[in-house]
Amino acid sequence: MKKPAAAMVQSRAGRSAALARLALRIGGRYVARSPRLVFASVERRRELRHDLALRSADDVAEELGAMRGVLMKLGQMASYVYEDLPQTVRATMGRLQQTAPPMSPEMAAGVITEELGAAPDEVFARWDPLAFAAASIGQVHRAITRDGRAVAVKVQYPGIARSITSDLRNVSLLRRLVGSAFPGLDSRSLVEELAERLEEEIDYGLEARSQELFASYYDGHPYIHVPHVVPALSTARVLTSDLVTGSRFEEMQGWSQHERDLAAETIYRFVFRSLYRIHAFNGDPHPGNYVFHGGGRVSFLDFGLTKTFTDQDLAPLVDAVRLLVFDNDADGFRDALERAGFLKAGAPVATQLVVDRFGHFYGTVLKDRPMMITPEYSSAIVRRFFDARSPLAPYSDVPRAYVVMQRINLGLYAVLGSMNATANWRRIAEEIWPFRNGPPSTPIGEAEARWEAQRAIAV
Amino acid sequence: MLEPLARVYERSVPAEPADDGLFGPGSIVWRVHRDRSFALAGMRALMVQALHPLAMAGVAQHSDWRRDPFGRLAATSGYVLTVTYGDRASANEAAARVRAVHRHVRGTDPETGLPYAAEDPELLLWVHAALVESIETIVQRYGRGLEPVDADRYVAEMVPFAEIVGVPRDMVPRSVEALNEWMRSVALVQPTQAARDAIEVVVDPPGIDGDTRELWHELAKVAIGTLPDWARAAYGFAMPPPEALEREYVRQLLGTLDLAFESLGGVMEARRRIELRTRS
Repeated sequence: MKKPAAAMVQSRAGRSAALARLALRIGGRYVARSPRLVFASVERRRELRHDLALRSADDVAEELGAMRGVLMKLGQMASYVYEDLPQTVRATMGRLQQTAPPMSPEMAAGVITEELGAAPDEVFARWDPLAFAAASIGQVHRAITRDGRAVAVKVQYPGIARSITSDLRNVSLLRRLVGSAFPGLDSRSLVEELAERLEEEIDYGLEARSQELFASYYDGHPYIHVPHVVPALSTARVLTSDLVTGSRFEEMQGWSQHERDLAAETIYRFVFRSLYRIHAFNGDPHPGNYVFHGGGRVSFLDFGLTKTFTDQDLAPLVDAVRLLVFDNDADGFRDALERAGFLKAGAPVATQLVVDRFGHFYGTVLKDRPMMITPEYSSAIVRRFFDARSPLAPYSDVPRAYVVMQRINLGLYAVLGSMNATANWRRIAEEIWPFRNGPPSTPIGEAEARWEAQRAIAV
Repeated sequence: MLEPLARVYERSVPAEPADDGLFGPGSIVWRVHRDRSFALAGMRALMVQALHPLAMAGVAQHSDWRRDPFGRLAATSGYVLTVTYGDRASANEAAARVRAVHRHVRGTDPETGLPYAAEDPELLLWVHAALVESIETIVQRYGRGLEPVDADRYVAEMVPFAEIVGVPRDMVPRSVEALNEWMRSVALVQPTQAARDAIEVVVDPPGIDGDTRELWHELAKVAIGTLPDWARAAYGFAMPPPEALEREYVRQLLGTLDLAFESLGGVMEARRRIELRTRS
């Protein structure tokens, strides 16, 4: 078995990262051992271990405190890097919660009572006491509101916020872990980013605002659906939004290739449109966050890891694409990468090398032709990204502002790769790039253009 | 290095036990022995156990621990787990095997010149007391916690654990205070060369992969820092700085090590078997 990742780790991190490697192997194995729980059918309740339900805040601390939750999260991130993880696992990037048992009905009801002021039976017209899915540091219950709306209610594990916050304070340990997971990258900024994101994930209020940003932008979109939040029934630890039913990733993978291509197109459109038009990224591109309805219609869930960008953040990236793909301007491309911080200015490397290495990340949009994204293609991209032996490695970095974007990019390729999706990605990108505003290139694109035209009128 | 321990863990927790064994799902013993701090308690117990020259001589002269320290550790931990979670027949068989081995373990400690026999109830009780006192101390400080009343119950519940290897019931202390008092009453406590050699291996095991070594050293500091004063003084160990012993930090170390352990095949399943039995 080849172990390029391990070799990379050794070359850079050295002995002080010993503990880190251990933890990452752990995390990776943990992810590897729970794919069934990640790939879940719509009725997932049976797969949650209700017989092992956590019954107290102390149980929660035991299960997810003492670095366990944070390490599982890191392991999830590291699963991008480790080539010997099964493809399906890398594609799923299971969340840490999938390994934790659910809360007991009493404990979940207790959180609702504390947060919403009354027991679930009073707050909701109907309340399902057993969670049907695991979620970001919590679990999801079905309910019907008093005015008849079918909703999904995400309930946070009590005490989890405190224990994650305190684990994140062990910065020296975390820095060793991260430095080893992402050799070649600036571990300090990555830890800060990871810590910031995890702290954000803890606050469902932030997630509610992010979700609503997406939901209202995509209102009425014919293919992309983001469920609305019910603000009156949401707090920092409870997030209530419209219930989505449909097919999970695993089920969709059994559909015809045509259906899968349509679904992939919508996912691709969602990611790029969100970035370029609302300057936001939903940073957790794992398949458990998609619900498929057939014909290319997809619902997107879980906005706990959303990153927004300023025009300034985006400008050098937009320039890089334009200069590489359209202007064929190698010097300009390099300059844009340097401005974005991906490449140190004045690095003693030939510009053509920069174009060759970084150009790979634009592989789907370089040529105007249909292209299949295979699992091999997507893992090659990921490998290249983490290739510490590249002559560029000493000079490349992922600036803090783009850590989440990088994460979703790699995750997106992993998802599309596992779907073996084919499309003319370049044409689709041209529709969305603000400097092109290209014409619709597919039926989904045409419907989207109509939606956008109506949207403009409505706004 | 954790792999043999994981295999033993999986094997020692039966899927279909004939009965609830010596302690049973409602016991404090069951709860305490699956605490995530158990490895640390084990390390500390070895440090205390080695301080009895005759107990140490028996190990040094009759076991292959030096050649295969983790195999030896796995065997010991398998014994503890089988007696804890196995049914009565498994527990008694395991104890019978230990007694059979002990019959041949006798000799003279080269340093004190004193004769020893592993069947000697005093020696057996020393080993028992050191284990129980370590578990109680570590779980109280770094585990899920143990109320003083439960700590006493734990010590009392563990009496059969000593009994099945041959300690007369009446000799075995039944409370934390009685346990500590009995240990202080043992006059022959000194680190022989054999003990120093053994503890060197415990603190810095050979063949341990670099990944785990750092973590292990940190935990060894905690084991040293939590020893009874007389034991730390006997070895001449310095007290580690307070931040190395801080609960939250130590729990983070333990959580990391334990996650590594739990991610090995069979461990999580075995733990779930225990958990489900305590719930039914």
